[in-house]
Amino acid sequence: MKKLSVVIGVALATLASVAHAEYPERAVKMVIPYGAGGATDISARTIAEPLGNAVGKPLVMANVTGAGGATGSVSVQNAKADGYTMLFARVGSHSVNPAMKATLPYTLDDFRFVTVYEINPVACAVTPASGIKSMDDLIAKVKEGGVSYSSSGVGSLLHLAGAMVLKEFGIDNPLEAAVHIPQKGGGAAATAVLNGTATFLCTNSSAVAGFVANEQLVPLMVTTPEPVVGFDAPTANDLGKPALNQLVGWTGIAGPDGLPDDVAAKWGEWMAVATEDAKFNETMTSRGSVIQLMNPVDANEFIQTQYETFRQLVDDLGMRIEG
Amino acid sequence: MSFIDSVMAGLSLVSSVEAFLALFVGICIGVVGGAIPGLSATMAVALTLPFTFSMQPITGILLLLGVYKGGIFGGSIPAILIKTPGTPASSATILDGFPLAEKGEAGRALGMALWASCTADLVSNLALIFFAGFLASFALQFGPPEFFALILFSLTIIAGVSGDSLLRGAIAALLGLLLATVGLDLVYGTNRFTFEDPNLMGGLNFIAVLIGLFALPEIIAMAWNPVAHLGQTRSLGKSKVTITDYKRSFKSIVRGSLIGVFLGSIPGIGAAPSAFLSYSEARRKSPNKDNFGNGEIEGVAASEAGNNGVAGATLIPLLALGIPGDVITAIIIGAFMVHGLQPGPMMFVLNVDIVYGLFIGLIVSSVFLFLVGSVAIKGFKFVADVPKRILMPAVLVLCIYGVFAVNNNIFDVGVMFAMGWVGYVMMRMRVPAAPFLIAFILGPLLEDNFRQAMLMSGSDPMILIRGPITWFFWTLTVIALVAITRTVVKGTVTAGN
Repeated sequence: MKKLSVVIGVALATLASVAHAEYPERAVKMVIPYGAGGATDISARTIAEPLGNAVGKPLVMANVTGAGGATGSVSVQNAKADGYTMLFARVGSHSVNPAMKATLPYTLDDFRFVTVYEINPVACAVTPASGIKSMDDLIAKVKEGGVSYSSSGVGSLLHLAGAMVLKEFGIDNPLEAAVHIPQKGGGAAATAVLNGTATFLCTNSSAVAGFVANEQLVPLMVTTPEPVVGFDAPTANDLGKPALNQLVGWTGIAGPDGLPDDVAAKWGEWMAVATEDAKFNETMTSRGSVIQLMNPVDANEFIQTQYETFRQLVDDLGMRIEG
Repeated sequence: MSFIDSVMAGLSLVSSVEAFLALFVGICIGVVGGAIPGLSATMAVALTLPFTFSMQPITGILLLLGVYKGGIFGGSIPAILIKTPGTPASSATILDGFPLAEKGEAGRALGMALWASCTADLVSNLALIFFAGFLASFALQFGPPEFFALILFSLTIIAGVSGDSLLRGAIAALLGLLLATVGLDLVYGTNRFTFEDPNLMGGLNFIAVLIGLFALPEIIAMAWNPVAHLGQTRSLGKSKVTITDYKRSFKSIVRGSLIGVFLGSIPGIGAAPSAFLSYSEARRKSPNKDNFGNGEIEGVAASEAGNNGVAGATLIPLLALGIPGDVITAIIIGAFMVHGLQPGPMMFVLNVDIVYGLFIGLIVSSVFLFLVGSVAIKGFKFVADVPKRILMPAVLVLCIYGVFAVNNNIFDVGVMFAMGWVGYVMMRMRVPAAPFLIAFILGPLLEDNFRQAMLMSGSDPMILIRGPITWFFWTLTVIALVAITRTVVKGTVTAGN
């Protein structure tokens, strides 16, 4: 009898501990809304190892691609807000797209950001053959006419960046002054400048670092306040355009809107541990990223500010996509 | 540094057990990965990528290249055995490979696929080593107008894979074009035929369409009439490819390899169009024209040469310019960057040992592919002996799993089943599936490049004939159209008499 009561006691204790078990009890599904090998994918898979150690449960990485990150984002938007389905959010899917596309099936309010951990400076570049050596040269060319810029698609960071940079440099109607030639993907966008289809592009510095090192492209400017290693170009602040500091890429993690506070707090702690990892830092920095960890509150504010800036620009220029 | 020095530097880099082991293991992973429907070569490479981060650069990159090459060949195994392309590039192999398997010559078809793949692989690697600089500078001259002319010409291959009725082929192609328009508009970013469903915003998943169109109709037909196949001779895979077969197909293999090298070195086209182009050229030149589509060994050879010819050549824009030509090389370029290597002209100066190490590894990879492929064929060809009532349900399970795994999206499985019924109706109406697929692949490329060209020129159509490359493809297109018209007219006159 005594034995039995001990067994029952143990069983009850186990049950109780299950009921009070702390998040996470099981594996967490991490949706990457872009394809394998892209900037988001590599960033996500690099953080996955130290992050998985911090979480203590497996992270199941799933690429759900399509429609500029919208398909994957929607799958998390519609998931249960229990912290077991999280999203690697990116500048394209969560600030440019919401600012530009009226028909997007989600808004920023449908997500709760738990962190932003990586910032990617944006660089503008041209080919050496173009004869353009500085932003002033480029702007002079734009005023002459016949200048075009490539992007990875409508509603991408590159699309917005081209227009925003021209506007900051005093071109009032960048949509008419320069032709936007959308491509399918970031690689194709860089190729379009290399083969002369487009005159310039503004994109994540990591996407053109190889071409700059190989002297196939000439960088004209980077948008961060600090210079970028390997880019022999002035910063936006050097050129007196600090407003362009807003124009940076980033990667963060978000859950559905109703994510509980304690879950968000947990992610904040885990990310603090994960981003300390030396190998993670080394890999990301060598790819041109700046590791900058934000807690849930800062992350939300950062994204909101960027969204407002982009939204303002989109409205001013009439770039909003309605159909 | 002289050529010999470079080669020696490369040799010292790869002459380690690990490097060759990585290459060998890579090819094994690739062949198996490619052979599983849905788990395409692209996914196999993507899944292998994280393992290479901790390796020596050359070892890691050789591992990925091994997976890539193995995957492209491996895709032909299910294409021949169960009419399911393991990887999009092997869809042309189905056209003659599956009829051969139905005739009980699976072993012969698989053997030819391997021989053609290895030959094309070798040609492609040699082209990379000797003509990388030349082909790369040529590829950079391909802007939207040149692409438009090339793809317009490629669309004429629809006539070559339409079977006996050009009209039915054209209907299939139109259907393919229509479904390819689903998704976001390239220039305006607006929704097209998405019916407010976010799942349709990214367009129809290519793998889901592919598997639905080819594999499912067979399964539906089987479920419809479970005893129809009894009494047919399907066993066994004992037949083997002969030297005579190889000799007879040699011309087509070389032609296919060169088409592969050419299309592979231009970023943005990929292996599937190359396989179809090679197939249709082989058919056009062959004395056994009528046998194509009914189990012609030369057709298998041409398709496999066409897709494997791309494998080495896609490294031309990658190494010489730092431009990834397709999704797979985009992943591989990630591996270079993780190791602090930046592919491009400077790599031939700064990391010449790695470049030559890769070249040596690539040449060896053709041999490894032959060895691994031979063993794989021995193992897999017995699938042809499995009774259909057991095989078909197993294929269905694999298809569902594979299509789900592509994008972790159950919607894609629905697309696969819907396309399965479309494919079944097409099969019953004797509408060929290949033109549908070609239009589905090439249609968006044609449209995008046309619209990019129009943006470049401010809507002046003269840009479409702006240089010798465009003139060349326009001429080819006209010649092909005249030839097709003559065949059709001749056919009508003969039928009229």
